[in-house]
Amino acid sequence: MSLNDRLRSVFTEALQLDADADVENLKYRDIDAWDSVGHMALVAAIEDEFDVQFETEQVIDLSSFKVAVDMLRGFGVGE
Amino acid sequence: MTSLVHPGARLRDAATGELVGGAELAERVARVAESYADLPPGVLFLRVGLDVPSVLAYLGAFQAGRAVALLDPAQDRAVLDDLVTRFRPAAVVGGPPGAAPGYTDDWVRVDAGGVVPHPDLAVLLPTSGSTGNPKFVRLSRAAVLANADAIAEVLDIGPDEVAPTTLPLHYSYGMSVLNSHLRRGATVLLEGSGVVARPFWDAVVEHGATSLAGVPYHYEMLRRLRFDPAKYPTLRTLTQAGGKLRTELVSEFNAKMTAVGGRMFVMYGQTEAAPRMATVPAARLADKPGSAGLALPGGSFAVRTGDGAETTAPGVVGEIVYRGPNVMMGYAESEAELALPDGLGGVLVTGDLGYLDDEGYLYVTGRLKRIGKVFGNRVSLDDLEQLVKHLGAAAAVPAGDKVVVWLDGASADDCKAAARALAAALHMHITGFDVRPVAGFPLLPSGKIDYRALEARV
Repeated sequence: MSLNDRLRSVFTEALQLDADADVENLKYRDIDAWDSVGHMALVAAIEDEFDVQFETEQVIDLSSFKVAVDMLRGFGVGE
Repeated sequence: MTSLVHPGARLRDAATGELVGGAELAERVARVAESYADLPPGVLFLRVGLDVPSVLAYLGAFQAGRAVALLDPAQDRAVLDDLVTRFRPAAVVGGPPGAAPGYTDDWVRVDAGGVVPHPDLAVLLPTSGSTGNPKFVRLSRAAVLANADAIAEVLDIGPDEVAPTTLPLHYSYGMSVLNSHLRRGATVLLEGSGVVARPFWDAVVEHGATSLAGVPYHYEMLRRLRFDPAKYPTLRTLTQAGGKLRTELVSEFNAKMTAVGGRMFVMYGQTEAAPRMATVPAARLADKPGSAGLALPGGSFAVRTGDGAETTAPGVVGEIVYRGPNVMMGYAESEAELALPDGLGGVLVTGDLGYLDDEGYLYVTGRLKRIGKVFGNRVSLDDLEQLVKHLGAAAAVPAGDKVVVWLDGASADDCKAAARALAAALHMHITGFDVRPVAGFPLLPSGKIDYRALEARV
């Protein structure tokens, strides 16, 4: 699976999104499920799936799907 | 002083940088207060956000002597419509598009008749987490002011404090942070993105926030974020309420704050007490682990034992009874009850179980009723079971900051659907509801569900 697909499925699972949700364009607080509580669940799920550990600054900057993709590339996660 | 707003108080909007204080704040509050004069009799509904217009609407109502109910702007339309039907508000400030029948396009009630709320009544707050049939806690003007002053006193809030809004204002803890700071001429920093987001921490630095208020899940997040007060030289006070925080986390954050010359306060309260009842003085936190603290100035605790007698003898467990000027007038489930006078006489029977120690420190050990907490919000466990009964027989038990709902003979999909249904009905995050399948419930000899056994499985 590509990075995008894997991340999409992590978002869908952690935030309990509908299958047809526009995950790629999602931003923090766009939807009720991605509030501060959802954020922490999401961060933990991404760390588990990709076996990475975010720094504090990254946790608070992870404000959209696209930002998460860039961060994971920064960790050297393959496409 | 019977105004909530000290002449020196200021509101700062973090998003726009706007600062409103002094004479300008007083004038804008007065203007809002005047604008309510022509409304028909009745309570004002305010869908209150973390922004200057919302706070001005609240302060204007308080100044005008107009009872105001603070509501979650994200609440489902159906819940709002039900409240409008039952309480017939004079107007809904910040109402959603498409006013209810009987209201103008601007959400002002057409009927000029109606119940006049009791003159002492100032603020109505929804009881947190109630389902189906939400009711309001009736708080008098005197109770709100007394509690704001008592909190300001024990936290030693001065005019240089800058408090960011980490909690919504329709939540009693959030309201009390606002009230206690405005009352002391301090600054309230209106910020809506929360402690996990960059804009919040940028605002903390830019505007020199001096304190943070959090319920247990905020402290779990701050731990995950490896919160370091050394990075925020102005931030020297933490307060915690909204449920019992793990003693381990209390110690951890107390140590962090003490190391930089700061303070941490653990507090206890209920919306029914406007809301604060007790605080552990920061200097005693380390040697009173697990305590909810001493009664606020002007308040006192006793415990009621099985025979109905009250005692303050150390170590005796019973239902916690609080007395103080901040106790609510009572509840309201409909418009007629808004006119009722105080029905409690300053005595709040809390429904919590606990005991006092030899110095008068309160320890909360449990609940009399079946109540859980979801991210600081009280929920009735019986209500949760009712909400998912279409998916199977359910048994809900408290589990720290969440609830675990056991669903008899359920599939994984049923569990998911149940969690979604609960999150939607209570408007709380889905991760607060841990729904698990179970094959039959453990039973007591009486044939009732053995909830203690289920709690042990969590």
